[in-house]
Amino acid sequence: MGRLILPAATTIVCGILALAAANAQQVDPKLASYQTVSGVSGNLKSIGSDTLNNLMTLWAEGFQQRYSNVKIEIEGKGSSTAPPALIAGTAQFGPMSRPMKAAETDQFEKKFGYKPMAVRGAIDALAVFVHKDNPIQCLTLQQVDAVFSKTRKGGVDKDVTNWSQLGLTETFADKPISLYGRNSASGTYGYFKEVALFNGDYKDSVKEQPGSSTVVQGVASDKFAIGYSGIGYKTADVRTVPIAAKAGATCHDASEEATYSGDYPLARLLYIYVNINPNQKIDPLRGEFIKFVYSKQGQAATLKDGYFPITAPIASQDLKELGLAN
Amino acid sequence: MMDGRATLRVPAPSRAPAARPRHASTDLAALGEPYLWTLGGCLALGIAMVAGLLLLVFWNGALTFWPQPIAVLELAGGERLAGVETRGGTYRPRPDVVAALPPTAQAVVAQNRGLVERTLYRTGNFDLYGDDFRWVSSFQIAGIQYPTDMLFVERLEWGVFIGRLRSFQVGAGEPVQAAVSDAAFQAAHAVARARAQSIRAIERHEIGRINNTLERERLGARRVAFDHGEGSGEHQAALARLASLTSRLEQDYAGLAREVERLKAMDAQDRARFADVGGREKEMPLSQIVRLYAANDLNAVQQVAIYLARWWEFVSDEPREANTEGGVWPAIFGTLAMTLLMVVVVAPFGVVTALYLREYAKQGRLVSIVRISVNNLAGVPSIVYGVFGLGFFAYFLGGSIDQLFFPERLPSPTFGTGGLLWSSLTLALLTVPVVIVATEEAIAAVPRSMREGSLACGASKWQTIRHIVLPRAMPGIMTGIILAMARGASEVAPLMLVGVVKLAPELPIDGTFPYLHPERSFMHLGFHIYDVGFQSRNSEAGKPMVFVTTLLLITLITAMTATAIVVRARLSRKFAGSQF
Repeated sequence: MGRLILPAATTIVCGILALAAANAQQVDPKLASYQTVSGVSGNLKSIGSDTLNNLMTLWAEGFQQRYSNVKIEIEGKGSSTAPPALIAGTAQFGPMSRPMKAAETDQFEKKFGYKPMAVRGAIDALAVFVHKDNPIQCLTLQQVDAVFSKTRKGGVDKDVTNWSQLGLTETFADKPISLYGRNSASGTYGYFKEVALFNGDYKDSVKEQPGSSTVVQGVASDKFAIGYSGIGYKTADVRTVPIAAKAGATCHDASEEATYSGDYPLARLLYIYVNINPNQKIDPLRGEFIKFVYSKQGQAATLKDGYFPITAPIASQDLKELGLAN
Repeated sequence: MMDGRATLRVPAPSRAPAARPRHASTDLAALGEPYLWTLGGCLALGIAMVAGLLLLVFWNGALTFWPQPIAVLELAGGERLAGVETRGGTYRPRPDVVAALPPTAQAVVAQNRGLVERTLYRTGNFDLYGDDFRWVSSFQIAGIQYPTDMLFVERLEWGVFIGRLRSFQVGAGEPVQAAVSDAAFQAAHAVARARAQSIRAIERHEIGRINNTLERERLGARRVAFDHGEGSGEHQAALARLASLTSRLEQDYAGLAREVERLKAMDAQDRARFADVGGREKEMPLSQIVRLYAANDLNAVQQVAIYLARWWEFVSDEPREANTEGGVWPAIFGTLAMTLLMVVVVAPFGVVTALYLREYAKQGRLVSIVRISVNNLAGVPSIVYGVFGLGFFAYFLGGSIDQLFFPERLPSPTFGTGGLLWSSLTLALLTVPVVIVATEEAIAAVPRSMREGSLACGASKWQTIRHIVLPRAMPGIMTGIILAMARGASEVAPLMLVGVVKLAPELPIDGTFPYLHPERSFMHLGFHIYDVGFQSRNSEAGKPMVFVTTLLLITLITAMTATAIVVRARLSRKFAGSQF
């Protein structure tokens, strides 16, 4: 887990470790059940991550079932679109699949005088996908770096461009690797660059896709492809490749267990950034939405979208920080 | 686009003079025959491609909602799997996989030169399995059955469930074993669905009204604070009014909330218990079930009924589950409203511009430059219009409107963000060159003799234009508008910047004052196709929806264009009657 440079992320994963025993495909039973309150109505707009697009929609649908007068609009074109929207006030929620960068936080602080608050809404295992017929059993992060990066900061000294170099034979022997990735507005792009590419640069031959699902569809239709995307977008036409943190370490598939235990090296948190003035009480509309996200019902939506739910300690810690704890 | 183009008044190709004498000695190339054949062949190829595309969309779109049988597979390992066959293909399994097969299966693989067939089954039950599609190779299958009691259950959440009905219970009663065709079960299901709808009606309309009133009054009080100053007498009075109103409405709300609670408690008691093919049980409230049927036990009438019910749900309902299920009504409505609003803007604007350019402006270098600019505008990439619309309309115009008229709502923007109005205006800009060019051509085609006749009878210039030129030019102008409409309705790229969103459950026209809400974001069929096809969690499940939505969009554009063509035909007939 040493790869998760950001302190916030590290704390989280420690919090997850404590509760690793949670049941498979179950929401933490210690999470509060959501209680509807009165007087909640108005408009909300969310602009940001494409990875979180469907999850935000599911949360919005759940929230609107309880408050039929709340209108929530959702726009998801990439995590980098969230900070400008929050700063300009065009959105109340900025879902991001990576933490805000220092420069983005500074800009926000310059305008408002305080930092944006982060809601840690779900856990994602960023998966490396290959075609369903691809037999590859394991890749180390360093190999992934050599496949995707031209700078190879992971320490592999030779560029990896065909499947033979990764030990494949038969139909895959000597076949060039075809690379699929996200566009640079995406938080997934940023996170993968930071963790799997050790902050190196992507090869120019990576086919940049506008959406997470497009990456998976690209890999599904190209037998010699490899790509990265959120685990939630997996289909029957692709396989996830187990990843090892370094050569010699055990390989872990992007399973719930390996994600919670921190063994899977590409686990990350998904955030929703909010503009909350620490000196004022948050308005009931946004407050209730955040409470809903942290509730049992809200976290069930993460499962529905193929992600993993957060655990009760994270929820209570965040709610306390946001001033929403009862 | 295609529909619009088809309506262009293309001059009929001049027919070759009949039975041109042909001399064997003349060179073929000189006669032009090869070129004629090449041109004709190209045209035929183009038409074939367009027809093929339409056929593909139509075929896939029309078949999506047809109920398919559920196959129960007995796998070689003894596992059982139930699913709807989706698509298949062949592949070459790895040698170690083949080596591990029993000899008979190996022989089959060898016979097919190492190729194996496989089929993708939609297994549903995402909440139980964690996936909803599975590839099964032919050598894995020990047997296939189509049991009549397998049910296809469409649910409000978690997608499809495929399994058998075990029992159901109503109220505090004991669970009763039942089949799906039992009248008691169907009645209980209908009651539960009706109850869920009444819960929704209370939440949406009655509680909604209360919340709307509260929001309006709260904003009103803020407005007073802006106008008269915070803490002024007027503001105090407004706050007092707000407080009394709040307490009164809170009471109403409490009453309604109790009623909803009561209904929800009843709703939670009516439950059905299902089991998947392996016997794993799943209990769900009856109201969660949209539709269920025994897929292998349907007669033709039932199949048609399910097919039509699904279409109806698709065009009349709201989307669910992040747009992958349910209907597309908000998107249909958004597309229509946006296109009509665009036409309302673009028609007068384009026609007036063309009239001035052709009839009043002094023809010279300046007018030529303007004309060239207008023609060039048509060639600007549409995304550039989107950027312009966002910067000028939404941020600059909308931002100023917000500052002036809606200061109480800031920092949340009202007009200062993408919306229906800004989208329509952006598309109007995009399509106005089409209307200008078509109108100019139509006006120029009005014979000079008619204008001169009118002027000679003592009509003024405006009277001539109003009564002679415009009516004659009307069919041509309509052609321009039809083209603009087809172009506008099928355009998506600029809309993504100026107001189209993935989810906007509130329509831009509804029963809340002031009824028309042009500032609201909206959903659009074109964007919906992009969203479902490329952004949804399960792209496999989304694929059929892409075809259906495309089919719907094509139908909608065709319908709109056809209406305009009918109007144009009426106009031409009317005009033809009044000829000298």
